[in-house]
Amino acid sequence: MNPPGGIVDEDGKSSTTPNHGVLVQFRFGLVMLAPILVITTLVALLPPDGNERAGWLQFIGHFHPLLVHFPIALFLLVTILEIVGRSGHFAYLRLSVNFVLVLATLGAISAALLGWCLGRSGGYSGTLVTQHMWGGVAVSIICWVCWLIHSRPHELSAAYAIALALGVGLVAWTGYRGGQLSLGANHLTEHMPNGLRNLLGVENDRVASAPRADPNTFYGAQIQPIFTARCINCHGADKHKANLRLDSYRALMRGGKNGPVIRSGNVQASDLFRRITLPVSHDDFMPKGKQPLSADQVKALELWIAAGASSSLAANAIKITPSVPPAPAEVKFEEVDTAAVARLRSAIAPTVTQLQKQFRNVLDYDSRGSADLRLNASILGSNFGDRDLEAFVPIAEHIVAADLSRTAITDHSAAAIAAMKRLRVLRVMDTRLTDATLLRLDTLSQLESLDVYGTHITAAALPRIAKLPKLSHFYAGQTGILPGRPVPEGLAKKVIF
Amino acid sequence: MDLEIRSGPLSEVALAYLQARTRRHFLRSLSGGLGTLFLGGLASKLVPSAKAAGAETAALDFSRDARSPLSPLPPQFPAKVRRVIYLHMAGAPSQLELFEHKPELKRFDGEDCPESFLAGKRFAFISGVPKLLGSQYPFHQAGQSGQWISDRLPHIEKQVDDICFIKSMRTDQFNHAPAQLLVQTGNPRLGYASFGSWVVYGLGTENQNLPGFIVLLSGGKTPDGGKQLWSSGFLPSVYQGVQCRSHGEPVLYLDNPAGVSRPLRRSMLDTIDDLNQQTYAAFGNPETVTRIAQYEMAFRMQMDATDAMDIRKEPDSVHTQYGSKPGEASFANNCLVARRLAERGVRFLQLYHWGWDSHGADAKEALNLGFNDRCREVDQPTAALLADLKSRGLLEDTLVVWGGEFGRTPMRENRGGQVMKYVGRDHNPGAFTIWLAGGGVRPGISYGQTDDMGYEIVKDPVEIRDLHATMLYLLGFDHHRLNYRFQGLEQKLTSVKAARVVAEILA
Repeated sequence: MNPPGGIVDEDGKSSTTPNHGVLVQFRFGLVMLAPILVITTLVALLPPDGNERAGWLQFIGHFHPLLVHFPIALFLLVTILEIVGRSGHFAYLRLSVNFVLVLATLGAISAALLGWCLGRSGGYSGTLVTQHMWGGVAVSIICWVCWLIHSRPHELSAAYAIALALGVGLVAWTGYRGGQLSLGANHLTEHMPNGLRNLLGVENDRVASAPRADPNTFYGAQIQPIFTARCINCHGADKHKANLRLDSYRALMRGGKNGPVIRSGNVQASDLFRRITLPVSHDDFMPKGKQPLSADQVKALELWIAAGASSSLAANAIKITPSVPPAPAEVKFEEVDTAAVARLRSAIAPTVTQLQKQFRNVLDYDSRGSADLRLNASILGSNFGDRDLEAFVPIAEHIVAADLSRTAITDHSAAAIAAMKRLRVLRVMDTRLTDATLLRLDTLSQLESLDVYGTHITAAALPRIAKLPKLSHFYAGQTGILPGRPVPEGLAKKVIF
Repeated sequence: MDLEIRSGPLSEVALAYLQARTRRHFLRSLSGGLGTLFLGGLASKLVPSAKAAGAETAALDFSRDARSPLSPLPPQFPAKVRRVIYLHMAGAPSQLELFEHKPELKRFDGEDCPESFLAGKRFAFISGVPKLLGSQYPFHQAGQSGQWISDRLPHIEKQVDDICFIKSMRTDQFNHAPAQLLVQTGNPRLGYASFGSWVVYGLGTENQNLPGFIVLLSGGKTPDGGKQLWSSGFLPSVYQGVQCRSHGEPVLYLDNPAGVSRPLRRSMLDTIDDLNQQTYAAFGNPETVTRIAQYEMAFRMQMDATDAMDIRKEPDSVHTQYGSKPGEASFANNCLVARRLAERGVRFLQLYHWGWDSHGADAKEALNLGFNDRCREVDQPTAALLADLKSRGLLEDTLVVWGGEFGRTPMRENRGGQVMKYVGRDHNPGAFTIWLAGGGVRPGISYGQTDDMGYEIVKDPVEIRDLHATMLYLLGFDHHRLNYRFQGLEQKLTSVKAARVVAEILA
C-alpha cells in the first residue's frame, strides 16, 4: 500500500509528514461526525409520520432524489478505484481515493439530511421509508468510517476492505428501497419476462402481496383491482401518502388525513372520485404524474359509489357497459365476380336486354353484382300503362323494387304487381290504383316499404296490408286514410302521413 | 399504349404517339411484362383464387354509348341511396349557435382565450388575444332522441329524430373558396370533378329529359368557390352541374325566341347535329359528342324542365309548408324545386345558400342580426323538404346533406385586434358540424365530439374525404373504384389519402 495521508511526488517522497496529515484528517473527521449524529437523532426522534408539511422542508426535500445519486456513484467509484488500483499499471488511481471518499461522505450525509426532509414533509410513512432512512444513515456512517480507516496504517487494511464491501451492500440495499418508494415495491421485477420469472421463482409480488377481497363482491371483482393496479404504490402498505391506504376496504373507507375519500351514495362529494376525474394538469389530480384511470375504471368507481360503496355488494349487482366503443367498424366492399354474375343473370338476360331496348332507362339491375332488378317507370309518367307493365311479367320475380308513381296504371295491373313476389319496395304514388289492387298483394311476402301517397286507397285496405309480414313503412299521405284514425294493431307505428 | 391506329384523321395522332415512344418505354413495359408473367404463374399456383381476385380488381366499366353519356348504370353493390340533395350553407354557419351545446364556453364568455388556442394556429381575421364567446342562443334537447339544438331552428328541430349529426367534421382549409372546393370536389385546388359529377358519371340518370346534376343558388350571391364547385373537372363536361333558376326560365335562353316554333328548332338542331357529326368524324374529340348530346337534352328540357321547375303547379298547402313564393329567388323555392326534381329522377341536386359568413364585420354578417335571417330563410324550407320527402316515401332512398365548408371559432372575432361593433366568429377548420338524413343513415344520433369549448375534436374525427367515402358507399360504391383515368392516375373523389367509410353512422 502507498503511504496514506499525503500526495506522492515524483521522487516517491511524501510532500507532507504522515503525522501532520493524520492530525488534520482526525480533526476533519470529528467535524464530519457532527452532522452524522444530527441526522441519526432526527431519524430516531422525528420519523416520517405520513403528514405533508409545505414550506422549506418540503422544498429542499425534493432535491433528495437529485442528490442521492452522487454518493452512490462516488462510493462505488472508490471501490472500483481500489480494485483496479491493485494492478501495478493503474496504481496511480488510488491516489484519488482519498478525495473521492471525502466527496462521497459529504454527499451521503447531505443526501441523508435531504432524505429526512422529504420523508418528514412528503406524506411518507411505513416500514419501507423507515428502512430506507436507516439505510441512508448507515451509508453515511460507513462512508465516514471508510474514509477514517483508509488513511490508517497497514494493519487496518483488512478492516478497510470489509467496510468497503459492507458499504457496497448497504448502498445497493438502500438504493433498492428508495427505488421501491418512488417507483413501486416491485419496480425491478414488474416487467420481468414470465420465462425468467419462473426460472428465478420470482412471484408477481404486486398481485401476490395485494390483500385479496372476496371476488364475488363488486368491490373485490371490480374496485380493489383498480386500486391494486393504479393506487397502492403510493397508498399501500409500504407507502401511505396523505395517510391514505387503498389496499383494503376498511382503510379505504377510513380515508386519509383530510377525512374520508368516499361518501357512500354521493359520487360528487367523494374526494377520491373528484381527484381521479380532474384534468391531468390539476394539482389535486390522482394518480399524480401517472396516466389517468381508464374511462371504464372511472365508470366502475362511479357506479359503485353511487350504489352505496358497500363491500358486500354482489359482483353482478351493477352492470357495466363498456364506455369505450368497440374498435371502429369497418365496412366491407363487396367484390363483383363478373363470371358468377353472368351465370346468375343468364336466364333473364335476353328478356332484360329486350325490355331495356323497349323501355329506355326504366329497368336495370339492382347492382353490378346482382341479378335482381329495379323497375322505375315513374319517369315515363302517363306514357306507361297497364299493357306496358304486362311486358315485365316474365321477369317479375326478379324485380325487388318497383316505382310506378304517376304512371297510367290502373287496378288491371294488380296481377302484374302481385307477380313481383320478391318485391321489397313498391311505390305507386299519384296513380289511379284503388283498394282492389292492395287487397291482392298478399303474395308480396318480402315487401318492406309500400308507398300509396296521393292515391284513392282507403282504410278498408288496412287489415290486409297489416298482414304483410315484413312491411315496416306504409306511406299513406294524401289518401282516403286519414291521420289520427285508429289503424290495425300491426300497422300502428308503420303508417307515415 | 392501347391506342389503335385507325385510318383517317386519328392516324396523325397515332403517328405522333409512336414517334414519341422510345426504346426505354419498350424496355420498361418488357420488365413489367416479365414480372407479371412470373407473378401470374406463381400466384395461380400459390393461391387458387388469385385469378378471381385479379379479375375483381379490374376497373369498373363506366363507358356508355357516346350519344347517351348520361344513361343509367347500376351501382357497384346494392345501394341504399338513389339520389342526393346537398344543401350547402355557403360561408360556414356557426355550429356553436345551432347544434353544438357548450355550457362551459358560456361560462367563460368574455374571458381571454387561453394561449393554447392560439399557438401555431392561423386565422382569417383574429389577431392578438381574442375573448371567448358563448353561444348567443339558448339550447335545449329536442325529439325522442334528445339531441341538443338551439332555438334558431324551430322547424328543423321537429325533424331531429331523422337527422344524424356529425359534430366532428374537420377540414384543412380556412378560406371559403378552397374549403368549398374541398367539400365539393375533394380537393382545394381548381380542376377537380365535383361530387355531383362523380355521382352522375358513376350512376348516370334515369330521366334523360333533365340534367342528372342540377345546381340551384339562393342568398343573392354565388358561393366563393364559384362555378368550379359544380365543375366536372377532368371528367367529360357532360357530367358537370347545370345551374338552374327557380323563377323565370329555369335555364337561361331555354325557351324558343319569339317566332321560332318547336319544329323549326328541331330542324335547326338536326342541321347542327349533322355538322357536329362531321366534326367528330374528322377530329374524334369526345367533347363534340358531348355537345351533340347537350343540344338534344336542351331540346327535351324545353318541355320537361319548364314543367318540373314550375312551382306554381304546387297547391297552396305545399307553399305554406315550404314558405315558398312563386316568382322569387329563394332557398324555400329551391327546396321545393329540389323535391320536384328528385321525384322526377334527377340524381344529384346541389343547393347553395349564401350568407353564413358571420364575422360580425357588419349587420348582415352579425351573429345577432344577419345570422338570424339566414336561420329563418333555411329553417322552414329545410324542415319542409325533409317532411315532404318522408311523407312521399322518398327519404328512404334520398340522402339529404346540410352543412358548410368549415366551422366557426369559440372566440369572438376581433378584426385588427379591436372589439368589433357586431358579434361574430372567425373561421375554424378544426371542427364543424354537418348533418345527414335519409337513406342508409342512422337517424337521431350524434357522431363525434369536440372539446368543452367546441374548438377541437376530441373524439371520432371525420375528414371531408371520409364523408365523401361514406356518401359514395351509401350510393353503392367503393370510393377506390369510382375512377377516371387522367394524367396517368386513376383519379378518384377521395384523392390519394386513405379515406374511411364512417360505418358508425350507417343504418
